[in-house]
Amino acid sequence: MTTRRVKGIGELPRDIPPARDLWPAIAEAIQADLAMRVVPDGRRRVGWWPAVGLAASVALVAVGVFIGQGIAPKPDGRLAGNPAPVTDAGMVKASLRQAEYEKQREQLWTDVQNKLNTMAPAEREKVGASLNTLRRSIQEIETALGRDPANALLQELLVSSCQEEMRALTVVRDSGRQEL
Amino acid sequence: MKPDTVVDFDVALIERARRGDAKAFERLYREHVGRVHGLCLRMTRNPDTAADCVQDAFIKAWKALPRFEARASFSTWLHRIAVNTVLEKRRGPSKAEVSVEDPGEYEEPTMVFDTPVEEEELEAAIESLPQGARDALVLCGVYGYEHQEAASMLGIAVGTCKAQLHRARGLLRERLERGVR
Repeated sequence: MTTRRVKGIGELPRDIPPARDLWPAIAEAIQADLAMRVVPDGRRRVGWWPAVGLAASVALVAVGVFIGQGIAPKPDGRLAGNPAPVTDAGMVKASLRQAEYEKQREQLWTDVQNKLNTMAPAEREKVGASLNTLRRSIQEIETALGRDPANALLQELLVSSCQEEMRALTVVRDSGRQEL
Repeated sequence: MKPDTVVDFDVALIERARRGDAKAFERLYREHVGRVHGLCLRMTRNPDTAADCVQDAFIKAWKALPRFEARASFSTWLHRIAVNTVLEKRRGPSKAEVSVEDPGEYEEPTMVFDTPVEEEELEAAIESLPQGARDALVLCGVYGYEHQEAASMLGIAVGTCKAQLHRARGLLRERLERGVR
């Protein structure tokens, strides 16, 4: 087989594409890295909430109520579809519940982080990617709520997503299984 | 010949990737993977090792993105990471090979043959070169880096880089049976 003739080294092609797509393995490592960044991000979220204002308050009240009832309660249609008026006392209680939730969540993420460190790389990447997907969906709902504070559907979605995240974190912490 | 310089298209993608946007980083990967792979393949001479180096290099680049200075060339930065990755995989045997004298007069990193040569034959000749000479030739001759930049990437002195290129030139002349300027 004859190939192109060149007069100098500089005429050789610089680009030689790999025989197979190398991106999937890189993407998995990136997803795992993003999942690892979650704990510090979680701390930053505390500072992010005030910017969302009312949307976050309403959502947090809902989350706080649910978290106060346990990690995985059944959705309450009244709260999600027609939120009760938020009083000063209610806000204080909600703040306390929110703080408790954040504390629980942060502890879970720390535990999960430790668990991830003991997993095989492929398993760690898979679990990390799944958790990261959950985290992103929560962030997207929070952003949407910031634009549409009174949207009951978004509030309900946020609550169920937070519950889902807590469930997933608990499963990983307690069993280390890949399935989320 | 100068290595590619950063373009605006890259700057926007780099900024997005820096903020954690994996899609933006994938586009950077697609744009640069051929060149990074070419470099790794020529330095390692092994497709599997080259693929490993490419993957490692891009993962390292992703993690190091916050430290990337936007004014620098992304391509050069990426190549530097790739060269480092290849050197790490070799675990140091090349260091013993650099005891060649600095020829001094060979400042020009390009190489021109007196008669054309088939690309495949030339690649095979490059592949047959000793590691140190091959590294200098690939970085300076094929990828257009100046001696200083190539030496810095390889962790060797500029004089050593020039000497290795001189050595590569002599060996290519012998193996290709052609005059090399």
